[in-house]
Amino acid sequence: MSEKSRGLSKVEEICSQRSGRAKELKDEGKKIMGYFCIYPPLEMLSALDLLPYRILGDMREPITKADACLPTVVCPFDRSALDLGLKGKYDFLDGVVWAHVCEVGEKTAHVWRTYLNPAYFHFVDIPHTIHKPAQNQFVQQLKDFQKTLMSFTGKKLTSEMLVEAINAHNEQRSLVRKLYDLRKPDPPLISGSEVIKTLKAIMSLPVKEGSELLREVISEVGERKDGVPFRPVRLLIWGSIIDDTPLIEMMEELGANVVMDDTCVGSRAFFPDVKLTPDPLEGLAYRYLVDLKCPRTFKESTYGETKKDYLTDLRSRFSYISDYAKEWKVSGVVLQSVRYCDIHGYEVPGLGDYLDSVGLPHTYIEHTYDERSLAPLRTRIQAFLEIIRS
Amino acid sequence: MAEEKKKKAIDRLKAMYPLRARIDEVYKNSVKAMREGKPTAWSMVNWWEGDPIIMAMGVEAVYPENYGAACAAAGAAPAYLERAGADGFPDHICGYARNCIGYTARMKDLGEIPPEAPMGGMPKPVLLMSAGSLCDARYKWFQALGRYLDAPVWVLELPHLGVKEGLMEGAYDQAIRFMVEELREFVGFLEKLLGKKMDWDKLEDISNDIIDMNRIWYETNELRKARPCPMHSRDFWTCMTGCLYPAGDLKALKKMYQDLYDEVKYRVENKIAACPNEKYRLVFAELPPWHSLKFFDRLAERGWSFVVESWAYHPPKPIDLSQVKDPLERIAKFTYQWFAGYFEESEKQGEQMGYFGYPYLEYARDWQCDGALLHPLLSCRTATNHLMYVQDRLIQKLNVPSLVASGDIVDLTLFDPEDTLRRAEAFEETMDHYKEVRKKEGLGW
Repeated sequence: MSEKSRGLSKVEEICSQRSGRAKELKDEGKKIMGYFCIYPPLEMLSALDLLPYRILGDMREPITKADACLPTVVCPFDRSALDLGLKGKYDFLDGVVWAHVCEVGEKTAHVWRTYLNPAYFHFVDIPHTIHKPAQNQFVQQLKDFQKTLMSFTGKKLTSEMLVEAINAHNEQRSLVRKLYDLRKPDPPLISGSEVIKTLKAIMSLPVKEGSELLREVISEVGERKDGVPFRPVRLLIWGSIIDDTPLIEMMEELGANVVMDDTCVGSRAFFPDVKLTPDPLEGLAYRYLVDLKCPRTFKESTYGETKKDYLTDLRSRFSYISDYAKEWKVSGVVLQSVRYCDIHGYEVPGLGDYLDSVGLPHTYIEHTYDERSLAPLRTRIQAFLEIIRS
Repeated sequence: MAEEKKKKAIDRLKAMYPLRARIDEVYKNSVKAMREGKPTAWSMVNWWEGDPIIMAMGVEAVYPENYGAACAAAGAAPAYLERAGADGFPDHICGYARNCIGYTARMKDLGEIPPEAPMGGMPKPVLLMSAGSLCDARYKWFQALGRYLDAPVWVLELPHLGVKEGLMEGAYDQAIRFMVEELREFVGFLEKLLGKKMDWDKLEDISNDIIDMNRIWYETNELRKARPCPMHSRDFWTCMTGCLYPAGDLKALKKMYQDLYDEVKYRVENKIAACPNEKYRLVFAELPPWHSLKFFDRLAERGWSFVVESWAYHPPKPIDLSQVKDPLERIAKFTYQWFAGYFEESEKQGEQMGYFGYPYLEYARDWQCDGALLHPLLSCRTATNHLMYVQDRLIQKLNVPSLVASGDIVDLTLFDPEDTLRRAEAFEETMDHYKEVRKKEGLGW
């Protein structure tokens, strides 16, 4: 990696060969731990000096190997990630940690373990609810994870090491929130595409290096004069994973700035901090089980309620989105999902009802995690932007 | 001159008919009781984790998944599917769910059970009992029904550990402890919802009956290892409902499973085949095309005998729970045994998917299968996720080939029986070939 590049040009450089830095560090003796989705607690990896490396797909690469072990009617993102694994593109990983993020993710974990057989693999189960017994169960799951990590690294993982790692990741999260503040002006100081690339880059770096990169980007963007052009519509994008830029670029071309997101290479992965608790695993369990906002977890307005009020339920689940909309001055919401994503699919009508109740225009689009499937969506996005403008 | 009656390709079990009639009757009685004001729950299949508890609390349950199959069979599903689509639910989500969502939307519009609803319909519930087991739809679907119903949702928790993690020291005890704590919370919630106390003696009795009924059902299926196979998958699918969706007088139901066991045993002792022309023995995964079950008769005419099927719907391997005093712990252990009962063997065989995956290897080996028919469902991830994996493991480890035929549980337009039959003919040569390969490798069948 070039030593001269800084800030956004460094982000571009990392994204053009995302595994480059990890491979360099591996050559220096560092162990690289792949993780899938946003639920494995990264602090436990960083505390043991492992590099957490997010396993992603590649929407620009056709799936040619994964069909032999995952059917075509399941999540195309999972299939793409597995496909890259089967093609040897994750061979540099020393181990993999996977969590029970969704049903397809859970099966993909076992398939990955079978066919790629990494030297270390751990599957963390995650309860579906957030009741106190579920939180306790998740703490126990993290204790089992801790045991296998210590056995793999031959190191003891102490509370002090965990606290230090929690602080380092919280610091990074605070920097990401600062990065997102740069999207609040009109026009925003940083584009939606640049944000995705930046986050994708830091998901492949050790936490402190990632934070340093964020500082550089924030400083550069804060000073630049020729940043993002004014566009009449400000969008929030919600839904399943977006780990590349074509969809955002299409919206930008059509006259919208994507100024906020609720996706998992985005605010969903970074916004909540871990609270420091006497047993750091409890704070981690709370953050990852309760505070993360993915629809994979069942949440309700009042635990044990005997009568459900629809709007109250919707408010308890989605009011953070209207908070985002106010803070980032959003004029419309694009609900998007990869096809065959059940947990997002079931959410769409309810979220639509909620957005109606707060007067936010919205549309729903579905794609198959490839550039080709985005083309037919162009007209729909265009029509949506026209509705907002009118 | 009386024409000689054509012999049926599948010889159905006599004991199956009263069992099926009983299941239908119990369903109708439940609907009647609900209409008379008895509290009703809509329930996901939950593998006996929640059923005994709501039964002991005097709540009648209907099962929208099962009802989805009934709507598909009665031709009522298309209108409900269309309504769910019109309300914005994507067309790739579960067919049962879309059927239920469409039904519920229509019930809300009308303010009463839709008149066209098959089997008397599903009355308005006081509770939606969902489950985290195996499938995301089982809780997201009921959460989405909040659009039409004010009933609360309770999600039953079932830990989904991996094989290695599930066998770590202390993991089993912790999983059971978690389930028991959750069930205790559930009892407290029901007491608040219904304004009455749990009848623990009744719960004891009901849970014991469910466990015992499943033991009989398990032993019945073990008898199917015999050659020729005494019971076809069609009888399994008809009879599984009584165990999976327990309702009504469980002692009477248990007696019917005992009758079924006796008939199957008699057939084994007298070498009576379910498929008189048994030439190929097959395992089926996962859910069948409910709308096209006669398709299996046509395969039976070719000598295809389906001897084992559908891991998720088979009863757990029996374990001795007689020393477990707390009925909630007994329930937790029984349900978890269903989920993780193959883990130890799976680990020994170096297999990582201890549920949905490894059991098919054991089935194919122990029921001596020549092939597998895998049925990916275009709207069901749960029944489909693992099928390519199963196909690969079967051929790699046991030289058992698979035929893949896509379809759906509700939408009959997605299944093409004629094309599948054409491919079945060619598949026979594959099965013949691998029979020779297995023989050479000393696999024993």
